[in-house]
Amino acid sequence: MDQSVAVQDSLKEDENCIVAAQCQFFVNDVIESRLVSLVECKSEYGIFLFTHRRMAITKDDISLDKVVPITKDCTIEEVLSEFPVLGADMTVRITSDSVFLELQLPFSSHSQRFLDETCKACHGVDMSEDPCPQFLWLSKYLPKSALASDSEKKGAFIPTAAFKGIETEASDNKRKTGTATVNGKSQVSEETKQNIQNISDNNAVRDGKVKPEVNNDMVRSSSYTVANKAQMLAMPQFELRDNLIKCELLKREESYTFTKNYRFFVGTYNVNGQSPKESLLPWLKGGIEPPDIYLVGFQELDLSKEAFIFSDTPKEQEWSKAVYEGLHPESKYAMIKVIRLVGIMLLFYVKKELAEYISAIEAEYVGTGIMGRMGNKGAVGIRFNFHNSSLCIVNCHLAAHTEEYERRNQDFRDICSRLTFRSFDPVLPNLPIMKHETVLWFGDLNYRISDVDVEQVKKLIDERDFKTLYKYDQLKKQMEEKAVFDGFTEGELTFQPTYKYDTGSDQWDTSEKCRTPAWCDRILWKGKSVKQLQYSSHLSLKTSDHKPVSSIFEIGIKVVNEELYKKTFEEIVRSLDKMENECIPSVSLSEREFYFKDVKYMQRQVQTFTIYNDGQVPCQFQFIQKLEEPAYCKPWLTAQPCKGFVAQGAKLEIELEVFVNKTTATKLTSQEEKLEDILILHLERGKDYFVPISGNYLPSCFGSSLQALCYMREPIQDMPPEHIQQFTLMPLHPQTEPSNTLEKQLDIPKEVWMLVEHLYRNACHQADLFQQPGLRTEFEEIRDCLDTGMPDSLPGSNHSVAEALLLFLDALPEPVICYSHYHKSLDSSGSYTQCKQAISTLPQCHKNVFNYLMAFLRELLKYFMFNNLDRSTLASIFGSLLLRPPPGIKQDATQKKKVQEFIEHFISKQEDVS
Amino acid sequence: MATAPYNYSYIFKYIIIGDMGVGKSCLLHQFTEKKFMADCPHTIGVEFGTRIIEVSGQKIKLQIWDTAGQERFRAVTRSYYRGAAGALMVYDITRRSTYNHLSSWLTDARNLTNPNTVIILIGNKADLDAQRDVTYEEAKQFAEENGLLFLEASAKTGENVEDAFLEAAKKIYQNIQDGSLDLNAAESGVQHKPSAPQGGRITNEPQPQREGCGC
Repeated sequence: MDQSVAVQDSLKEDENCIVAAQCQFFVNDVIESRLVSLVECKSEYGIFLFTHRRMAITKDDISLDKVVPITKDCTIEEVLSEFPVLGADMTVRITSDSVFLELQLPFSSHSQRFLDETCKACHGVDMSEDPCPQFLWLSKYLPKSALASDSEKKGAFIPTAAFKGIETEASDNKRKTGTATVNGKSQVSEETKQNIQNISDNNAVRDGKVKPEVNNDMVRSSSYTVANKAQMLAMPQFELRDNLIKCELLKREESYTFTKNYRFFVGTYNVNGQSPKESLLPWLKGGIEPPDIYLVGFQELDLSKEAFIFSDTPKEQEWSKAVYEGLHPESKYAMIKVIRLVGIMLLFYVKKELAEYISAIEAEYVGTGIMGRMGNKGAVGIRFNFHNSSLCIVNCHLAAHTEEYERRNQDFRDICSRLTFRSFDPVLPNLPIMKHETVLWFGDLNYRISDVDVEQVKKLIDERDFKTLYKYDQLKKQMEEKAVFDGFTEGELTFQPTYKYDTGSDQWDTSEKCRTPAWCDRILWKGKSVKQLQYSSHLSLKTSDHKPVSSIFEIGIKVVNEELYKKTFEEIVRSLDKMENECIPSVSLSEREFYFKDVKYMQRQVQTFTIYNDGQVPCQFQFIQKLEEPAYCKPWLTAQPCKGFVAQGAKLEIELEVFVNKTTATKLTSQEEKLEDILILHLERGKDYFVPISGNYLPSCFGSSLQALCYMREPIQDMPPEHIQQFTLMPLHPQTEPSNTLEKQLDIPKEVWMLVEHLYRNACHQADLFQQPGLRTEFEEIRDCLDTGMPDSLPGSNHSVAEALLLFLDALPEPVICYSHYHKSLDSSGSYTQCKQAISTLPQCHKNVFNYLMAFLRELLKYFMFNNLDRSTLASIFGSLLLRPPPGIKQDATQKKKVQEFIEHFISKQEDVS
Repeated sequence: MATAPYNYSYIFKYIIIGDMGVGKSCLLHQFTEKKFMADCPHTIGVEFGTRIIEVSGQKIKLQIWDTAGQERFRAVTRSYYRGAAGALMVYDITRRSTYNHLSSWLTDARNLTNPNTVIILIGNKADLDAQRDVTYEEAKQFAEENGLLFLEASAKTGENVEDAFLEAAKKIYQNIQDGSLDLNAAESGVQHKPSAPQGGRITNEPQPQREGCGC
């Protein structure tokens, strides 16, 4: 339904709602429904966002939420995902100096129109000469302060962005796209695009979502023309193929990848809200050989209330810097991603030269704190592909307190189910943690050592009997019970518990609580080709009440052999091509060519053939039109059925019927046309078969002109074809015979004479003459008799002969009273003298035939007692045949009446017109 | 994932025209199946085949329509010229008559396709050099006079068959690149996949976002 009516209803008189569409609007991560509309006033445009009742009908159903004037710096873009799918929702991004709106519109014509019209409006503003649209008309819709301050400052109205949280992104986004989106034109360079797509962005990471790149090709194509609509239709084909190839590549991954080991450094450190005070190198160096990848997790980065509430902390930068400075000094590293949830932060660095092999990076977080949502506890995760392997990294901080191990198990399960990553293919569901080939999970898991007293624990630690101590570890017990981290592995604990120390020392907790030491900080993994090289803690770091833990892994990564990949890829493409070619529908036809022998006037001939679907797919067939032809076949031909469906291996019979009637006979007799046609049997998405049809037509007096027949002293089928052609194509000559006639013309066609003579001799007493139909078979005999020979007597009943006479008159290409005389004759129907006058100007043979027929009708009327005929019946039967309206002219009742009157004059009188 | 783009981003429509028996279907078969079809029946209708090729690193799908060459089907096959990006006009180097008819085929091709349609002249049966009836030079000159690409090929040995289809594609692609072929124009004979994403791969070196974390 078009909701623009409701919007219009809410507007002032000179304001005009161009289009309205339903959309979804992200307000602080909550999705709300809005009605978005484009409003025009005095060639200025604004985007109005309304909250609304389910389906808005009047202004009472909507309430204005936001207004965005379309200024020169305003851009409208369609944000596209990696693999756009036809029919998917579209995301529209509206940006200007101070506004950043992202709307999701359903796939619909309203949405498309909204996008088209808004782009047009943007474009219009760009093009306009007017330097600064004033948007005065919008002032009534906006908060007063906004208008006063901003418009004064800048000379043009700029609205305040009333939406915090998104606002920060607006500026951020602009930075990313650089100068690219100025003035509604999209010119994002290849380079910038890559940056947007790939480089971590701290602001974007903060809310855990990396915005998909803006793809400018698609922005352009979203304003579709007829021509690129066709392209859009071709899209699914491209799509499907992509997916098939992807699937197949995945299946054959082993054939083109080899495993190469990479060194991963994993570290976790609960910093207890402290700032970095010492070098992290001892923790992060990770041995002599520089790690290829660093994954460094922190917990309790900032314990202040501000961090908790506003999720903004200077500690992020402090610790990031400290980590960067503590990385292995012999290699250069690039930061790929940072994600932080309050105090839980995960940093991802990779050796610079390996950065290009990292792809599909996504970061997410899940809070499991108070109310199950807050960020004081929870997890952050990063997933990425390294070469051809998928990895997921989780840094978490689970619930505290010794007795709360069940709660920790619960947190783990929550994280598993709620931490999912946006899939790069929008049609696929989100990726959960466990769907990755390798998972590295670490953090302050908070599992304690229980069921043993503090002194015993400290004694075991002093004896470095970690094996015994490990027996009391809650995580070990919970894992054995498969209550948590099922499927994960942890290396042997060869270091003393990492919690709890007096800050700044290696002293166990001396506070009142005197907590039992515990292995809170742990690193676990899941995946086939993971080998732990080292698992240790670092006592020398004294900043926190925890000690940092680190592990070095050697992880087997699937690396693509480009050559083999190319080979596999090509194999797949080739087999797909082959499949595609095989999937081209194919049929075989039982006959490819048809000849219809001796086709006669008004006599059906039928031949059949079978379509057998010998292809591998069902097929839809249709006889299709040829270039510049009105129908798929000539008027004397039909194919039944002319379209249909044949399943694989099935057969279907097609009937071809040739039938020549009065509309086609004349030109076939004159040989202007031949019984020749080529049918195109078209298979949907497949090849076309040509089916040539031909035949010979036996010329007939039916459909021949009176004049031509008058020249034929022999039956028409005994005439040489060239004579038939000559006579039939001869122009109708008026009154007098031309002197150079080959042969003397007959007064009337012999066929007319034979029919009438037969009726005159045999049928004057026939009841219901001309009113009772004849037999089809007898008509055929009569026709053959007229066309081939001249027996003394015609075959068939009187009724059949009578009908043949009528059919003959009906088939005349030029009626007895010529088309040129039609109007004149009708006009003179009131007066017999004038009627006679009309007849007297007919060509001689037509006049002869007319007089002859009138004399015959008058004769018949003498026997009305027997044949039940009367003047008006005869006048109306013969009138409709003798005095036919020219093609394309319709006869009304008055004219029919006049035709009848015209004929009645002649059959009432006893004279011929000379 | 690896570098090669998954899929073709263009579809070009081709037609193959020329007298009966010059080997149009065999050329198509050789091109799509890499095989010579010895007893190829006359094409009574329009067959079609596809193959994906690569031009300047771009994957292109050729959709090739092979038309019946018999004179009596001439009027009907004319329906198929429309919207072709490329036309392969084939004659038989051993039969002069097939060469003599070229101007009439060319007239059809020019009248029924768009001005940007790339026409390549192919002298087929180049393997039968002993029975040659049309010299290379003569045909070459004809091609030059009429602005056609030209190759002699053999569907039997496969010689130059690949090139014939490729040369035309290169020319079409070049026309797209230099803007002389407007993809949005109706009947350009080219369908273009709107965007060809390369996967979420980092190709530029990532730059740390913050000062203090710089490399």
